[in-house]
Amino acid sequence: MVISPALLIPLAAVLGLAVLLVRLGRIPFGYNVRNLVVRWKTTLVTALAFTLVIALLTVMMAFVNGMYGLTDNSGNPANVIVLSEGATDEVFSNLQFTDAGELENHPDVVRWDGRPMCSREAYLVVNQPIPDAPPGRPKRRFLQLRGIDDPEISARIHGLSLYDGGQWFSTAGVRQLPGDSADAGAAPAIEVVLGEGIARELSRDRRAEAMPAARHGQRLDVGEVFALGNRKWLVAGVMKSAGSTFDSEVWAKRSIIGPMFGKETYTSLVLQAGDGAAAARLKDFLNLEYKKAAVQSLLEEEYFASLSQTNRQFLVAVIFVAVVMAIGGVFGVMNTMFAAISQRTKDIGVLRLLGFARWQILVSFLIESLVIGLAGGLLGCALGSLCDGWTANSIVSSPQGGTGKFVVLVMDVDANTVLLGVLLSAGMAVLGGLLPAVSSVRLRPLEALR
Amino acid sequence: MADSVTDRRWIVRVQGVHRYFKRGSERVDVLKDLTLNVPEGEFFGLMGPSGSGKTTLLNLIAGLDKPSEGQVWVGDDQISAMSEGQLARWRTRHIGFIFQFYHLMPVLTAFENVELPLLLLPLSARQRREQVMTALDLVGLSDRVRHRPGQLSGGQQQRVGIARAIVTDPTLIVADEPTGDLDSRSADEIMNLLEELLRSLHKTILLVTHDPRAALRAHRVLHLEKGKLVEQPEMLGAE
Amino acid sequence: MRFLVLIIKNIRRNLVRSALTSLGTIVLVFVVTLVWAILSFLDAAMAEKSQDFKGIVTERWRLPSQMPFAYAASLCAGAASQPGDVRPDDSMTWQFYGGTVDPDKRTRENSLFAIATDPSKLRTMMDELDSLPPDDAARLDEAIAKMQQNRQGIILGKDRLASLNKRVGERIKLYGINYRDIDLELEIVGSFPESRYDNTAVIHRDYLLASLDAYERQTGKPHPLADKTLNLVWLRVPDTETFGKVANQILTSPSYSSPAVKFETAASGIATFLEAYRDLIWGMRWLLAPAILITLSLVISNAISISVRERQTELAVLKVLGFRPWQILTLVLGEALLIGVGSGLCSALATFVTINYVLGGIKFPIAFFGAFYIPAEAILWGVSVGLVTAWIGSIVPAWSAQKVKVSEVFAKVA
Repeated sequence: MVISPALLIPLAAVLGLAVLLVRLGRIPFGYNVRNLVVRWKTTLVTALAFTLVIALLTVMMAFVNGMYGLTDNSGNPANVIVLSEGATDEVFSNLQFTDAGELENHPDVVRWDGRPMCSREAYLVVNQPIPDAPPGRPKRRFLQLRGIDDPEISARIHGLSLYDGGQWFSTAGVRQLPGDSADAGAAPAIEVVLGEGIARELSRDRRAEAMPAARHGQRLDVGEVFALGNRKWLVAGVMKSAGSTFDSEVWAKRSIIGPMFGKETYTSLVLQAGDGAAAARLKDFLNLEYKKAAVQSLLEEEYFASLSQTNRQFLVAVIFVAVVMAIGGVFGVMNTMFAAISQRTKDIGVLRLLGFARWQILVSFLIESLVIGLAGGLLGCALGSLCDGWTANSIVSSPQGGTGKFVVLVMDVDANTVLLGVLLSAGMAVLGGLLPAVSSVRLRPLEALR
Repeated sequence: MADSVTDRRWIVRVQGVHRYFKRGSERVDVLKDLTLNVPEGEFFGLMGPSGSGKTTLLNLIAGLDKPSEGQVWVGDDQISAMSEGQLARWRTRHIGFIFQFYHLMPVLTAFENVELPLLLLPLSARQRREQVMTALDLVGLSDRVRHRPGQLSGGQQQRVGIARAIVTDPTLIVADEPTGDLDSRSADEIMNLLEELLRSLHKTILLVTHDPRAALRAHRVLHLEKGKLVEQPEMLGAE
Repeated sequence: MRFLVLIIKNIRRNLVRSALTSLGTIVLVFVVTLVWAILSFLDAAMAEKSQDFKGIVTERWRLPSQMPFAYAASLCAGAASQPGDVRPDDSMTWQFYGGTVDPDKRTRENSLFAIATDPSKLRTMMDELDSLPPDDAARLDEAIAKMQQNRQGIILGKDRLASLNKRVGERIKLYGINYRDIDLELEIVGSFPESRYDNTAVIHRDYLLASLDAYERQTGKPHPLADKTLNLVWLRVPDTETFGKVANQILTSPSYSSPAVKFETAASGIATFLEAYRDLIWGMRWLLAPAILITLSLVISNAISISVRERQTELAVLKVLGFRPWQILTLVLGEALLIGVGSGLCSALATFVTINYVLGGIKFPIAFFGAFYIPAEAILWGVSVGLVTAWIGSIVPAWSAQKVKVSEVFAKVA
């Protein structure tokens, strides 16, 4: 994890300067701390306001980090995505089967076990009725299906594996369920592999009576069945997909689900090259030289980076809310410090008389404000950090439009988020304490005492 | 500078000092052509009604203000020519303040209150400790070092105030109504202490007071009325 | 009234503190008003109506919904075919055409997704456009009339006009993005009034359909999207009973098998779409808004506590003079409430005016909503938030104020 210098340096500077000023200021640090303790109720209330602002910031940033983590981690630098030309998103793309045969034999495409590393995919979004939806909740959900020709190849290309006990769907892509009889006309169940996120989501549809038999309480697991489009769908495996956009996808045999939902073509091909340089070559070839079909290609990393446009919008919203709340907090701490100073005008007068310079007194009160802010802020970071690892639903979409991908992100409280929280609380404390501290040194010493 | 007649050193010399303030377009003269000298080791009292200019004169001598005209010397330093920063540093070493309401920091112990001015000097922690304990010994409070002002009586708090005033071994001690908030017994004790400091440490003390009984302890008392000294003492040295 | 005078004087005693508390309240009420405006808008969009509401016909399974245009006529009639079948009160078809003015360098600014529809339905079937102020309505009607005469017309929202750097009366050529090789030459015949449609574009469906026909004539084969061009159909129904009947007519009709279609209320469709934002909406409702309210209570509590602590002697004097504890409690509470309510009201009013009339709405990236506006009831929210948080924040200090013991205070002072 890379700690951002843009956060670390200012924070280190502020804290270092504070320590230096305490030393140079000569007014005992204990004087400030003890005053805070004596007025503990006011100190506590002010610090709590900081705690809330910073905790909220931490949670919001954890959400945004999760979104960035998703879009940043979902791309392999050696992968090239091929869509039909003009398609703004996978869901609008149509690639013919013959296109795939041509492209996967390009020399830059690596091979595994004699097979070209080309994932042939048909991405679909399907409307699934939710059985027994509780009142007030939607009666449908959007399911992201990915029709795959060769799941082993696709899994290798996307760097995915299954939880123990699961397996990829068979070549046929369907399986007769034990209780169903083909002779009686029952269609076989469609084998699927689920992303963890959607497995969790689908488990909410479970009936209470099915819970005891469930292999995994928190998610749908191997052997369980759900309904979609008048067919039964059998879970063959669950992918270890947390933190990737595949986390909310259902993978099944393309030849089954494509025609089922009216998608007779591929939407995308993902070709794996030897390394990033080979991938770039492949991409350029497809965009500039390949004329046999109208395709557009981009590096998988670029594709996922383009999805982070939504992230930026959320980040802007988070910053806006945090800044505005921080302003509210600044007014709160300003009140506290003004009160503290008005109660200690005599102390200020004595210090001035004894020879302490104005700046030393100013610094002393700023430090006091900083202590409140940092105490509250650190507690806020700790409180906000409780959300680390939580999952949350969201949606990412590309700048060109499209339906967007429904994603399950993992909230991430990283070091930079904590640094940001501490830096913001320090900033709030200094801003809030500055005006009162400046006012404190404008008092004339003997006036302060009389 | 010493008096050529008596060979005594002048601690305070106020020469032709005017101090006025502007209130809008009006000029208010608070001190008018004031000349005053205080020799070393003197217990000097200053009295006068409200509005007489006592506080203004005290401010000038203590380095808290500068005259509109004239000069002020304390010891060998012409403080009327110093900048604010220089005055702040000067006060630490040369002036000890004793207040009517003690003005101790309520959250600091007696020791810490007395130590405060020493923090501005280049002393080690051990040196500071020695000086603080010496000062507290002198005022008879070495058994109360860890007490906070809230745990001390009025008289004891004023003793801590005196200890703080003398801990830097200042050139001049300025006492502004030091007994104003005390009962008569405590007041006597404080005045006895001040006299003792005068004798043992050979300090020069400027006492501002309304209390005639406190004033009786002074070697010399001057009255200030409408910005002018109204009694000319015998021992004033002339320039 | 005398109490009020005393309360006001006490507030004025420390103007700095009162101002800071007020400012803190204003800022925090502003944020909570924004958050609640977004939430209330989403709640309203998802709330099922029972009278005069719209339903939406889309492909039953797949997204994006792509139906053949042949479905349009019968769907607009609610699939009514038998005697006794009911028809919707009104209908509107939507086809989405994406185009760019620069096919070589496509950006968000030089591209748009237009709704191809029957322009006569704009004022009857689109939210907000059916209740415009007279001037805006007249201007839009004029644009619609032009489009009906010239099917190559396009109406654009003001933000779209700005990003394309065009004005009404100019021409643009759009190169098809989703409709590859279907390029449209359009004349900008008008713009939408400032509203949620600032980023919207509308073209005449007849022009798109004619372009698809022209493509087939020129190339000899239909465009790949020719039988997938109808994206959705809006139907307006008077009540839930009619909705149910129309839904059943559509579901049981044999005409819609490939692909199958479904008919759901607009609220239900929107709710499904917003499921993806479920956690975000939950966070806004149960984390963000409460945190803001608590912070506000703390800010007020802090200020009032300090004020009470500083006035111990005064409060004791009031007791000596005969004020009873509940009167002292009222005084302290009154100060807090006056600041809270006053600041809350000012903040909500300022937010209402600034967001709605100066900024043209909150542009928050949730689903397809262009912008969120502050509803008029937000003014009441501001007052309520100020009142409740002031009450919560000041009750404890007010309680301790009325418990001041006269003897203790004067002992300290003496």
